[in-house]
Order: sequence, then structure tokens, then C-alpha cells
Amino acid sequence: MSPRNFASLVLLAMVALATGFVLAGQVRTQLLPPSNQVARYQALVRSVQELEATNAGYRREIAAVRAQIDSLETEAATRSAGTQALKNQVTDLRAHAGLIAMHGPGVEVELRNGVPGPDTGGLAGGYLVNFQDVQDVVNLLFAQGAEAIAVNGRRITPLTAFSGSAGQVVIDQGPPLSSAIKIAAVGDRNRMVAALGDSTALPDIRAREVQYQLHLSFQGSPDLSLPAYDSSLQIPHVNPT
Amino acid sequence: MWLIALLVALVATIQIRSEVEVARSLVGIDPTSLAFLIDDLHRANDSLDAEKADLAQRRAALQSGESGAADQVLAAEANRLRALEGLVPVVGPGVVIVIEASGLTALDLQDALNNLAAGGAEAIDVNNRRVVTGVPVSQTGGGVSIDGVVVVAPWTISVIGDTNRLAAVADVMTQQMRADRRVRQATYRIEGSVVINSTISARPFVYAIAS
Repeated sequence: MSPRNFASLVLLAMVALATGFVLAGQVRTQLLPPSNQVARYQALVRSVQELEATNAGYRREIAAVRAQIDSLETEAATRSAGTQALKNQVTDLRAHAGLIAMHGPGVEVELRNGVPGPDTGGLAGGYLVNFQDVQDVVNLLFAQGAEAIAVNGRRITPLTAFSGSAGQVVIDQGPPLSSAIKIAAVGDRNRMVAALGDSTALPDIRAREVQYQLHLSFQGSPDLSLPAYDSSLQIPHVNPT
Repeated sequence: MWLIALLVALVATIQIRSEVEVARSLVGIDPTSLAFLIDDLHRANDSLDAEKADLAQRRAALQSGESGAADQVLAAEANRLRALEGLVPVVGPGVVIVIEASGLTALDLQDALNNLAAGGAEAIDVNNRRVVTGVPVSQTGGGVSIDGVVVVAPWTISVIGDTNRLAAVADVMTQQMRADRRVRQATYRIEGSVVINSTISARPFVYAIAS
């Protein structure tokens, strides 16, 4: 056997061995029966992933139909001055409702998880960014001159609600978000930066920065872009008087 | 031999990607939280589905080309957005919560308002001040203020929305509040017709520009 053939055989054997290991690993993770607990957990995770995929698909469809409606309305407005006036009113209302992409000067805030502390007495999960943290930052920014806000690209509207648990932040009908959370606000940049720099603001986050190294940083920007809201703004129980 | 090498690369990639995906999904989420997430996502997807159907109807009306269709669609949208943004008085079923307390802070009110919003509130008023997300609720020397006006106790929070969901939220909220030493009384009642006359003045954008 020539040295070249021998080297080829060795190489082939090594590749076959590696294939065997990888295949065995794959088969083991897929075929070996996990405990009931693990199986149930994996089923829950799969459900979340499937629902998130449906959620993303619905939001894409909503954005697309809203764009089509806007186009049809614009076309109709070219045929009548009255329709054009109505269209202008609706465009302004949509902008304030978060239904139109906006840009302008502002501030970007980043919140990141800290590290678990040895003493978590009564504050288990205190190192995680939670929905109240996001709510507090958003409220502070609105109080200090923000005109439009998005959290991880999710636009805040007049109906926005924050919820979630265990480091998961759910905003309206969006998918759960987790650290790092980026909050972008367009508005009075100087006021917002000054408020975020005030050590007495956001006391809970400041305390956890010290205790758990929770991370809060911010930076002013001359021009930030915020996307349009892509979810539901239904108010079926409300009627104008 | 190249075929075998290709197979190894393919299987290895699948293995590594699936492990990373599973690891990413599992980090820090306990089964109870996952169950809550599933519940939230089901509700969210139902809302998105309803929004899709509503938008499809509006698109069909616009595509019909009927005389005045665009004006009708635009006028209905304007009315809905004015109500949603708190620019006009509104009425509807809901709950009225009354909280008698001393020492409650802006954070307490912000949390209460957010809980109600998460529970399906579609319009909210506190002591005749209209509240939507974005209206500043702040702590001042004189107490808690809404859009710069101090709201003194007792707080009467009027909420319009799905009464079943709102009642469930109000029930939990008032129970928790009654356990708070600062709260003397916290009650709620369900009403078939909650009237909210307070409004918010429209504010033009100064910094934000439509893209």
C-alpha cells in the first residue's frame, strides 16, 4: 500500500469516526426518552416558539394591510378636497397613536441583566431586567419630553401596557423581550438626558445597579428612527359620547 | 470522501444549531412563567387576528370604489383614534375603583394604571383627569400629579373595557391595596355604563417628524 493510500484510509477512518460521534449525539438528543418533566418543559418551549412565529406573521400581515389602506386612502384623497382634509386629520391622529414611523433627536437607553447576588432575600431575580424597569424608564422619558418611544423596535401607543415575569418583558401583543432592552425616545433630547443622569431618578434600578450590577446606560442622538406600531389598537367597548 | 465530509459538516451544523436554539430558549424561564407566556401569546394572537379582520374590512371598503367609501372609512378611523388618544369624552361598560389612602406615590398610581391597561382598559380617568400611556404621572411636593395637576385622595379610577377582565384585575388590586397600611379603603364596582368626560388636549409634535 502506498503512503498516499494509507493517508487516505486514515483520513477516511477519522471522518467516519467523527460522523459516528455526531450522529450518536444527534440520535441521543432526539430519541432517548427524557424524563416527563423535561418533555413537558420542551413541549411548553415549542408552544411558545410556535405562538411567537404566528405572532410575527400576524404583525407582518397587519403592517402590510395598513400600508395598502394608506395607499388606497391617498389615492382617494387626490379626487376630493374633503377626503384630503379627512386624510390629513387621520394622518396626524395616526402619528400620535404610534401608527406612523417617526424620526428626530432623542436618546437611546440600554438596560441589561446584572449578575445573581449571593443574598437575594426577597428579591429573587433582582438581577434581571423586568417589565417594571422598562415601564419606569418609559414613564420617565414621557414625563421629560419624549414625543415617541419604541422598546426593542416595538412602538409605544396610548394603550400600551407592560407585563411579564422572570426577566421577560411583554409589551401589548408583542412577543416576550429579554435583556438587553433598548429604549429609543424621540423628543427633547437635553431634558431626557438630564433626567436619566439624575441620580435620584429611577431609584429601584439604581439600587439594583449597585446590588446586582444591573446595567443602565444612555446616549443622546441627533436623529433616531422609530418604526410604526404593528399590532392591534382595538377599543370595542369604548364609544364617543 | 468529500461526500462524507459534507455529511459530517451538515450533521454537525444541525446538532450545534439545535442545541444553541434550545439553550437560548430555556435560559432563565421556569415552567410557570412559560405557561403564562403561552396564555399571553394566545390572547395577543387573538387580538391580532381581530385587528387583521378589521383592517381587511376597511381595505375592502376602500377597494369597492363606492362613492363616499373613503370618507366613511377615514371618519370612522378619526373617531376611533380620538377616543383612543383621550381627545373626546367616552362611555362604555367598565369598573370604578375608589382608593382612600395617604402616602401613596406616583409609582403606586403608575403601577395601578399599568395593571388596568394590561387587563384590557380602553379608557381611564383618575379624579376627572384622563390618562393614556404617555401622560406624565409624577411625584410632586404636593403629592401625585397627572399631567401637572395634583390628584388628591381619595382616588376614583374610572375604567372602560371588558368588565370580566377588568373586574378580575380590580379584585386582585383592591385586595392587595387593603393589605397596605397606607390604604384605608379600596373598593370597586362594575358598571354597565361608565362615563368619562375628561379629555386630553392634542399636542403637536415639536421634535418628532414622520418618516
